[in-house]
Formats: sequence, structure tokens, C-alpha cells
Amino acid sequence: MKESTRTRLGCREFLRYSSVAVVAGFLTVGAATTTLAAEESINFNGWSAAVDLVESHITAFEKKTGIEVKYGNLPWAQYRDAMVTKFVGKAPLDVMWVSDAWLPEWAEAGWIQPVDQFKELTKYNSDVDKFCTDSMTYKGQQYGLTYYTDYMGFFYNEEMLKKAGIAKPPETWAEVVEQSLKIKQAGLSEYPLMLAMANESWLIEFLSAMVFSQGGVFTDDAGNAIMQDPKKGAVEALKWVVEAVQRQKIVSPATVETGELAGLKSFAAGNHAFALEPKYRLRMLNDPKQSQVAGKVKQILMPKGPNGSHATVGWMRFYGVSKHALENPERAKNVVKFVEWFGGKAEGEYRFQKFLLTDIGAGFCTRPLFDDPDIRASYAKYAKIDIIAEQQRLARKKDVITPWFGEWNEFNGAMWQSAILDQISPEEALKKSADKWQTLKREQ
Amino acid sequence: MPPRPRLRLSGVISGKFDFEARAAALFLLPVTVVLVAVAVFPIGYSFYISLFQLKLTRPHRVPFVWLDNYAKILTDELFWSSAWRTFSFTVMSVTAISILAVLIALLLNETFRGRRFLAIILVAPWAIPTVANGLMWKWIYDSSFGALNGALLQLGMIDKYVVWLGDPEKTLPLIANAFVWKEVPLASILILVTMKSIPADLYRAAKVDGANVLQRFIHITLPSLRPGFMLVFIYETMMAIRHFDLFFILTEGGPAQASHVASWHIYVETFRNLSFGTGNALAYVMAIVTFALAYFIIRTLGRRL
Repeated sequence: MKESTRTRLGCREFLRYSSVAVVAGFLTVGAATTTLAAEESINFNGWSAAVDLVESHITAFEKKTGIEVKYGNLPWAQYRDAMVTKFVGKAPLDVMWVSDAWLPEWAEAGWIQPVDQFKELTKYNSDVDKFCTDSMTYKGQQYGLTYYTDYMGFFYNEEMLKKAGIAKPPETWAEVVEQSLKIKQAGLSEYPLMLAMANESWLIEFLSAMVFSQGGVFTDDAGNAIMQDPKKGAVEALKWVVEAVQRQKIVSPATVETGELAGLKSFAAGNHAFALEPKYRLRMLNDPKQSQVAGKVKQILMPKGPNGSHATVGWMRFYGVSKHALENPERAKNVVKFVEWFGGKAEGEYRFQKFLLTDIGAGFCTRPLFDDPDIRASYAKYAKIDIIAEQQRLARKKDVITPWFGEWNEFNGAMWQSAILDQISPEEALKKSADKWQTLKREQ
Repeated sequence: MPPRPRLRLSGVISGKFDFEARAAALFLLPVTVVLVAVAVFPIGYSFYISLFQLKLTRPHRVPFVWLDNYAKILTDELFWSSAWRTFSFTVMSVTAISILAVLIALLLNETFRGRRFLAIILVAPWAIPTVANGLMWKWIYDSSFGALNGALLQLGMIDKYVVWLGDPEKTLPLIANAFVWKEVPLASILILVTMKSIPADLYRAAKVDGANVLQRFIHITLPSLRPGFMLVFIYETMMAIRHFDLFFILTEGGPAQASHVASWHIYVETFRNLSFGTGNALAYVMAIVTFALAYFIIRTLGRRL
């Protein structure tokens, strides 16, 4: 009897307390929603790069505007997959770093939105290199504002060239061969040219730089594969690499297992005379704490092929804006402010881009910054800014960035490797690669 | 007409099952629910997904394609070449593991000073995490600073550094070598346990009959090891077919698809291309093949157990 009374009382208590809890819960959620609606905080995601720098710039933004920013970062290796999962799961994302390689995929899925209607953002286009704006543009619409950019640069070890009696660095790919053979014969390096041709995400940048400088392309203006074309395509570039590995032996046969980082370390150890590397690596290569060839590494314009130019490939990472961000006008307004603070000017200057270069050596698109005294002083420590600016002017957007890029890229890398290993001819490799491209294009 | 008695479910259950059976069912219910949620449902759902052209980056277009994904896989040249590479890798790995496991078990089956210490050393690779194992072999095989080149050069077996993983002819055997190194200890233990269960009388009788060491090994040891072999073959075959870690760490399917095996193919299709439809179909094909192989091994080796 006593027990049943206790039970009844318990039920009543439970109901009473739970009612109070529900009401309190509603009040709290209501208050929180009101606060959120008033402030419209921004969810910003990036990969784990320059995290301290980003956080301090966010803090400055929050102080200046009173807008709260929720910042999350993920390792680069998992970033794309994690973001796609978040998009599919409808996570509240507003602003995120986007690689140019993912732009068509994310734009086609409707995950990121064009920013053409925001003049506060597009006004900066007049200050940036063409390939930068091109790299953020898909189907005629611009999808963001620059985070950082860079391009493939051609470096040489000045001391090694001098020891081999070479007075002037090469201007053409033919001269690269000639000088490499001289260096090899002098016993200064077994494989004078370092090319990192492992099938990783860097590979397409290396290949594009080689192809563009040989005067070729992968695709035409209509997006059809012409890489297999012996005159206009990528055949010349691939033939050159195959000759360099198999016949002239100026590039190591281990090139197909050498990733960008391993290649960089090998060059920094003084094993090679020439290297094709992302330009921002120049800072590390001329840093005595990290490189055995510090102070000896110089950049020159990309060597050119018989029908080519000093062109190279450039890439872009930018601030993209999600559909979620633009759904609410208040939030959209805040998001635009945030993107401008990072990708454009903050308090009248390109502050974050300057920070990126001076702190970690990451490149920028904004041409006026090449005249900035701080930037010039920073570059002067390890490079010649005029060469850097000139090469950047000659950088081009990758012509293979499409929704099917990732799938084709995997296959294309394997085909280039097959040719480099002499398993198939360059013509056959590029024919297969072109066929794959057209198949994927049709499927899309 | 008298009203028909209402059939109540609880009445039916209590009528059909006694108290113990009902209590057992009740106790089994939580784990059954968990198993259905974490195993049965995902397995069924993944088959369901394999009937769609589901690409994560194309969320607005997910057509139901019946068995098209399976047809696409079976007509894909890369699928068959990856299947062949998986077969080669499995055959060379399982053969090497079995032979080495028998030799190690024979050694550990003897009584000698330092046997326990040797057993610990031999089992050590098994305790190393797979990723650490992969990274270790990556360093060993590196063509510019790897320990293998260093050792062979010092022994005078090569006159200059050799490209190991970058050579498509060597890639698969080298990955198999790393896999064997990791897997041999477990196989050795399984064989050793079986070896210890062989009655000593058999050997004594054979000795009396004049059988030499080799004859005793062929006619007594090997046939008696059949249960151990069956375990080793099934387990190691499944491990080799499904193996992914070393391919991911050492070569990422390269160079030029030289190590593009079935598990790598599934990974690329699912997690790089984000094609969940074909990825799941591939996983199903692989599961069916693995199951069929296990069944074949049990039917052949386990027949006379």
C-alpha cells in the first residue's frame, strides 16, 4: 500500500517536473533562436592550414563587426570527403575553403552559390590575375573570393650549374636536357632533373605545367579531349618526360613513386640541379634550417617547348558560400562581410593575404600586393619578386576542371605513368586518357 | 452461435513456448536488435544502394538502375585486371605464409634453449599495427634512402640503388612480402597448435617401422596438419583478398595500376569517386567471391576432417 502511494506520487512529481522542464526548454530554445536571428553567426570551415592566423583574423572580425564566427577545420586529406558528407547531411555550413578542382562538382550539386550579385566581392576582380578569377568561375558565374593561389615554378641549383660550367640557366626544355646531360657527365648528379610523378593530387599540376609550357592543352574550348592530338595536345609533353626517364636518364625512374614532398626533400638535399615545384616551396628551399641548398636555389621562367611558351599552371583556393548562407538575407549580409574581410580588404588593406605570404609563404592573386613594401621585403629574403610576378602573369587555369575531373584524373595519372614506364607509347596513353574523358563527359 | 474466443498474441506465445524458451528469447532480444541495427540492416541497405546510380556529388539525380551497376562492373576491363592482381597477390601471399608457418611451427615444436625467446621474437610482427607496418616497409623499400638498398649495396649484391615500388614488375611481390611478414606469426601459432595435438605414438610407431625424418613429415605431420591448414587457408585467403592498408600506404594502386587490386578498386570507386552505387556493388561481388572461396576450401580440405 505504501509502495503504491509512493509510485503515484512519483508519477505526479515526474509529470510536474517534466512539464516545468519542457516549458523551460521552450523558453531557452526561443531565446537562443531570437539571439541567433539577431546575430546570425557564421559557420566557417577550412582545412588545417594557417590555423592560428585564421583564428586571430576571425577574432579581429568579431571585434570589428560583433558577428560571431564558428570556425572548424579538418585535415586536407579528409577535407573534400568530409565536406561532401556535411553537404549531403545538410549541415549548417556558410563559408568554406574550396579548391578549384571541386568547383564544378560542388556548383552542379548546388552546394555552393554564385556571388556575382555581391558587388562588395566582385569589385576585387580588377585587382587580381585573370587565371584567379577564371579558376573561381564556372559556367560564367563566379563562386567566391580568393583565399590563396600559387603556380608551378621551375627552380635550379645555381651552385651546381656553376660547377658544371654552365653560365646561364635553361630557357627551353631542349636546354634542360643539354645542361642535365652535362651535369650528369660531370658526376654532379645522377638524375639532374627532379620530377614528382606519383599518382597523387599534385600530379595534374605537374602535368599541366609541362603541357602548357610545351604549347599543348588537354581539352579544347568546348571541353572535348584533344590531349591525344600530336600537335595541339599533350603528346609532346609526355614524349619529353618518357625520353628524359628512359633514354636520356636525366630523371630518375623512381619518378612514378616520388610524391611532391619526397621530391622536394630530395632537391633540398642537393641531389638535383633542376626541379619543378610549387612556387611557395622556394621559401623552404632557401631556408638554412630546412634545406642543404639554402641560398643556392633560384627560380626561372618555365622552360618552353619548340611550339610553347613560358606558361605554367596556376591553382586557386577560395572562399565559397553555401546555399544555406544565402537563404537568410541577414545571414547573407554577414557572410559577404566575412568573405570580404578575408578574401578582399580588411580595414582598407589586403591584410589576410599579406599575413599568409609573410607568415607561411602562401601566394596571392592580388597584383597591387607585388608593390607592397612588406611583401617585397618578405620575398627578397629568398626569391626575386620580379620573376615571381612575371611567371604568375603567365599562369593558366587547368583546362580539365569539370564535374568528372576526379574520376578522369585518377585514370589519366595511371596512363602517364604507364607511358613513363615504357609499358605503352605516349600516343596510346593519351588516346586512352582522351577516350576516358569523352566517356565520362557523355555519362555526365 | 457462441462467440468465438479472441486469439491473443500473448496467449499464442505462452501456449507454444514454455517459460524457459520465452525467457531465453527475452534475453536474446537486446543483442538481436543491436545485431540487426549494426549488421543485418547495413548489409541489406548496402545491397539496396547497389541498385541505384548513387553518386554523392550528384545528389539530385539518383536513378534506380536494377542490376546495371553489376553489369557495368563485370564489363569493366579494370575490374578484371584488378581481380587478376588480387588473385596473384592472394596466391603468392597464402603460399608463402603457409610454407613459412610450417617451418616456424616445426622449429618451435622442438625443445631447445632459447625457444621461448625465439617464439616472442617471431610473434612480434603480429603485434605491430598495420599502418605502422606499412610505413616501416615504405622506408625499407624507398629507392633513395631505403634500408633494403643500403643492405644490398653493402653486401655487394647491387652496384647502385634499385627502384623497388616504382617498378611495376616488383610492386606486387614486394607488397606481398610485407603482408606475409605481418601475417606469418598468427599462421605459425595455428599450425603449431595443430602440430602439438599430433599423438607422439604415431612418430614412435613410424620410427619402429624405419621411417626417416622426411617420411615422417610427409606421412604423419602434413596429413595431421589438415585442420590447421584449413584455418590458415580460409583466414589468410580472406585477409589477402580484402587487404587494403598496405596498398594504400605503399603505392596507392600504382605505379600505373600495377597494384590496383580489388580492395583498392572499391576504395577508389567509393571514397574518391564517391560513387556509392558501384562501390557497394563491387563490395558485394567481392564478398560473394570470398564466401565462395571459403566454401571451396572447407569442401576440399575439411572434407575428411
